[in-house]
Amino acid sequence: MHRRDFIRMGSLALGGLNLHTLLAGEKERSERACIVLFQNGGASQLDTFDPKPDAPSDIKGSFGSVPTSVPGIHFSGLLPRTAKSLNRFAVIRSMHSDEAIHERARQYIFSGTKPRNDLLQPSYGAVISKERGPQNGLPPFVVIPEKDLSADAGFLGPSYDPFVAGDPNTKTFSVKDLTLPSGVTLDEAIARKGLLAKLDHSFKEAEQSPLLESMDEFYQKAYDLIASPAARKAFDIGSESDKLRDAYGRTGVGQGCLLARRLIESGVRLATVFHGGYDTHVDHEKHAKPLMTDFDQAFPALLEDLDQRGMLANTLVIVIGDFGRTPKINFSGGRDHWPRSSAVALAGAGVAGGVVVGKTDKQAGEATDRPVTIEDFAATVYKILGINVDKEYRANGRPVRIVKDGVPVKEVLA
Amino acid sequence: MSGSIKLEMTDGQTTMPRFAWLSFLIALAAPISAAEFSQLRIVPPNISLSKTGDSQRFLVLAKTADGQEEDVTSKCRITASAPEAIAIDSASGVLAGKRPGRSEIRAQLASLQGATQVKVGEGASEVLVRFSPDVISVFTTKGCNSSGCHGSPAGQNGFKLSLFGYDVAADHEMVVRKHDGRRVNLDDPEKSLILRKPLFDIPHGGGRLMTRESEEYRTLLQWLREGAKLESNGARMTRLEMYPAEQVLTGNGAKMRFVVIGRLSDGTTRDMTHEVRYSSSADRVAAIAPDGMATAMGSGLTTVLARGMGSVAASQIGVIQEKAGANFPAFPPNNFIDELVYAKQKRLNVPPTGLTTDNDFIRRVYLDTVGLAPTGKEVREFVASTRPDKRALLIDSLLKRPEYASFWTVKFEDWFRNNQLNSQGRSMGKFKEWVSERLAGDRPYDQMVRDLVTSEGDTFQEPATNFWHPATDFMLKKFDVKKATPTVSRLFLGIRMECAECHNHPLENFTQDDFYGLSAFFARLQVKHGPAEYRRTWYLAEDGEVEHPVTKKPVAAKFLGGETPQFGPDEDRRVALANWITSPKNPYFARATVNRIWHEYFQAGLVEPFDDFRSTNPASNKELLDRLAAFFVDSGFHLTALHRLILNSRTYQLSSRSAGPSANPELERLLFARYEVRKLPAEVLLDSISQVTGVAHPFSNYPAGTRAMDLYVPDAPDYFLVAFGLPRRDIICERSKTPTLSQALHMINGDTVRKKVDAPDNVLGAWIKEGWSDDRIVDAIYLDSYARSASSSEQTAVKEFIESEMAAGRSRRAALGGVLWTVLNSKEFQVNH
Repeated sequence: MHRRDFIRMGSLALGGLNLHTLLAGEKERSERACIVLFQNGGASQLDTFDPKPDAPSDIKGSFGSVPTSVPGIHFSGLLPRTAKSLNRFAVIRSMHSDEAIHERARQYIFSGTKPRNDLLQPSYGAVISKERGPQNGLPPFVVIPEKDLSADAGFLGPSYDPFVAGDPNTKTFSVKDLTLPSGVTLDEAIARKGLLAKLDHSFKEAEQSPLLESMDEFYQKAYDLIASPAARKAFDIGSESDKLRDAYGRTGVGQGCLLARRLIESGVRLATVFHGGYDTHVDHEKHAKPLMTDFDQAFPALLEDLDQRGMLANTLVIVIGDFGRTPKINFSGGRDHWPRSSAVALAGAGVAGGVVVGKTDKQAGEATDRPVTIEDFAATVYKILGINVDKEYRANGRPVRIVKDGVPVKEVLA
Repeated sequence: MSGSIKLEMTDGQTTMPRFAWLSFLIALAAPISAAEFSQLRIVPPNISLSKTGDSQRFLVLAKTADGQEEDVTSKCRITASAPEAIAIDSASGVLAGKRPGRSEIRAQLASLQGATQVKVGEGASEVLVRFSPDVISVFTTKGCNSSGCHGSPAGQNGFKLSLFGYDVAADHEMVVRKHDGRRVNLDDPEKSLILRKPLFDIPHGGGRLMTRESEEYRTLLQWLREGAKLESNGARMTRLEMYPAEQVLTGNGAKMRFVVIGRLSDGTTRDMTHEVRYSSSADRVAAIAPDGMATAMGSGLTTVLARGMGSVAASQIGVIQEKAGANFPAFPPNNFIDELVYAKQKRLNVPPTGLTTDNDFIRRVYLDTVGLAPTGKEVREFVASTRPDKRALLIDSLLKRPEYASFWTVKFEDWFRNNQLNSQGRSMGKFKEWVSERLAGDRPYDQMVRDLVTSEGDTFQEPATNFWHPATDFMLKKFDVKKATPTVSRLFLGIRMECAECHNHPLENFTQDDFYGLSAFFARLQVKHGPAEYRRTWYLAEDGEVEHPVTKKPVAAKFLGGETPQFGPDEDRRVALANWITSPKNPYFARATVNRIWHEYFQAGLVEPFDDFRSTNPASNKELLDRLAAFFVDSGFHLTALHRLILNSRTYQLSSRSAGPSANPELERLLFARYEVRKLPAEVLLDSISQVTGVAHPFSNYPAGTRAMDLYVPDAPDYFLVAFGLPRRDIICERSKTPTLSQALHMINGDTVRKKVDAPDNVLGAWIKEGWSDDRIVDAIYLDSYARSASSSEQTAVKEFIESEMAAGRSRRAALGGVLWTVLNSKEFQVNH
């Protein structure tokens, strides 16, 4: 990191844009990591980044609105801290899609491609895994707390699927299957490993099968990971100070974001935090309030923490969900799926802070100004991360690109 | 002009080009033994030259003792019955039309004879360059209209041609009129952009593709000079044929000649040998030059494609280093599968390995048929039996077990994509039951398919309607015919029609019209919510058509490659489709089905990928595929008959181990020379771990003792199953078979194995309680897990392990647990070999 700062300093001294800066920029892009904060179930745009204080009460809800650090821009009253941090991130209020089913919507968002019948496009993490590979012996793509169907490797194959971390907000958090079970000592594990190697050896010799070699490789990787002090350290959220853990909030999303920061710091390329429960078809306000409150604590804390550590310039943070929610509250007090408009946020690497792109109508129902598609969003993300979306992969016997026809949203780019 | 070769002609007789007499002498010098060959034939058949001066390359093929065909063109004496009409150059293998008329062409080699008819038409000898086929040919052979260049979906730099020239009118429009006609200069043709770019007079991303001296340049220039017309009555290509269809070359560097003929809509033919774009699916096996000469590069199989004018033809080349000799292993056949597999293995000199041992066989056949490992007791009984027909009896008994239906139901659920994603419906279990009943009763598969394709009603009361679920968008209460078409096509015809939804299939002669014609059978199928929450009802609307995306007109229902049936106003069109699909005469259904089942057993279909039948993707053993399909039809489409036939073949029962180091593992796999080691599917692995440890796996909402393969998992599937490849099924994709990091971690540290190994009342607990010795316990573990006893070195390793564990202070129980743990984590346990 110091070296990069030095290069930046050096180019400033030489004055303006030059090869040095360009090279440094290129190098940086390929080292950029990403944290995806996924609002599982779809957050209501009215109750996050696109409140409509002048709309009728059965649309605007009862959370009110607060001014942000950008004059003229307001967020939902549930997000005061986030509002104060707007200078650190950008918001797109005019995202839209036509996928209203959870699995399809998520598949669409994570892959930047409309779900197809016959081909599963890979998610951001899988593409980065493939293109950049692991660092420091850690899995390049991690999900917290659980795997979701949408965030997987698709046609790239299951070796690029995410590693599942588990829920760091538990008293005895340990990554799923990463540590020896309690009651099993290290030398017991080593002894078993030794016997396993003997039994496997004669079988492999006799069969001469590439499949067996491949299985062996994964077992070896697994053992390396189990024994790796770096891995243990990366996942050891318990070594964070109580003060910091409290700052993020002792919640699923809070500790999830903190773990994500730790993982990125240790060399993981992309970490996805699934913050669950936004699918509020019934009693929306009752369920949304605690979720947003937890989010409002975790998200700004994450940005602040990344900034403090000098990581914000090299980490792209995304806040997105399945879709928006219906402007009109239904008769069960809930809000239903509404893909026609949703609000998302981007922060960190390559992102211009304090920018709000696009507008919706009086009810936050339709994107009226500067509509942005999921493809555009994905193109933006990949551009920031330095991944070429036109690269041709092969799947099903035909050439395939990861994102087609998406145009990066230049207004959010720094 | 392309398609004709100048031959010197004097006094109505041909003068052979100078060099040809040399090859004639050489041919005479090599003695021809008539016993070497039987049968002579001249290809292509039915040559019909359109006019004087046109020519066609040909081959004379002789059948050899091992059933192959060899190119003997230059060895034969070839004559025309009407030499005034046809001139022949037998050394080069070309004939040319001299005068309108007919002639028989006769080839003679020692005592063998072959003949074919050739016609020369009355076409005007003044040759005009036509856009189609002449200019399109240039675009094809030069690669202009390939998928990497202007034939790609977006074209290049604004210039877009149809892929391999399938849309002549669009191509003409693009070349002549688009962008203000800047590509052609009719006043000064030589200045046309369409010439200057490939000449590289100006920068061209595709590079320099021709010079002013080339034939291609002359063709394009002449076309421009004649007004760059689209001759609308230019004959269209209806079919491309490539000869020979199959060939085995011996030795790297060996060469062979291909001949390609185009059949045109006016009944004439055209020599396309130099007007198609060739490609080899595996260049390291054989490379093919633009003139149709192929050269062997290394052992293996490759498919050679010839593409032109929107059509495609294929041939298969096998390359071996030496022919099978006297020491090629014998292979006593159990049935026709063995005969046909062996014949191909011998032709390609890929020796099959030996038979499985009884121990290997029983474990394998259990896992492949009923998804369970045999118990130690079952293993002992089978191995001890001295009955010569014990394997056949075992197969019969397994096919009668209820677990056969359980296990194969999961496979059919994978294929039919039984899932609850995207719908929030709850009838997944009903569909599973429906399939399971039919497999348990061995109901004819054709009837099952008819029931699926014509299903309607409530998804709970008519479970077959769940078949349409993957094609549905339940939020919008819409059924998407465009998703049903590829499903039905892949499953029951083995054809991947998806490409043709948006453009003509680049690798096959299927068009967009074919895709929509098939979709039209489902045009009136609709779905609605109800009659209760999470229930759906399928019904037929009174009207509704599928609209062609380009013409915007309704498309008539059309069978693939067949007619357009007529329907009464209230007729369910799907009935006609179902009958067409399942007809014994349908060329796809039986083949697609047997290929799928074959693929399950051998991990490689006779056609690969197993649901990708195309003329450009020939079967690795066409005869076997045809015979299996006929067998299946004759059996009344009974699946157990097919299982029984395959399982009883020696081919299935071969060991997974090669006799020696493998010369070509890929060829071994494609020709079934040994059993392919494969991972156990998730459900089978989990059930096996439960069975071996004696600890049932708990599944929420299911009674204790339920097996994984009997579950249906609407919401939160068990972690183990997901990690080990439980498929999502909402999209068409195969169950994943590759190992992953999560799997390894879960086996090593995860709950599943650990809890079962540590459970106090598992098999270890029981055996220790009964006072069994270490040796007896280890032997039981081996027999239950591997269906064999431990070798002496394994026994030693295990003994040493137990001793050192106990010396380290761990209990006997823990030490034995370590052995059990290790066996479950071993490769041998997690695979079927």
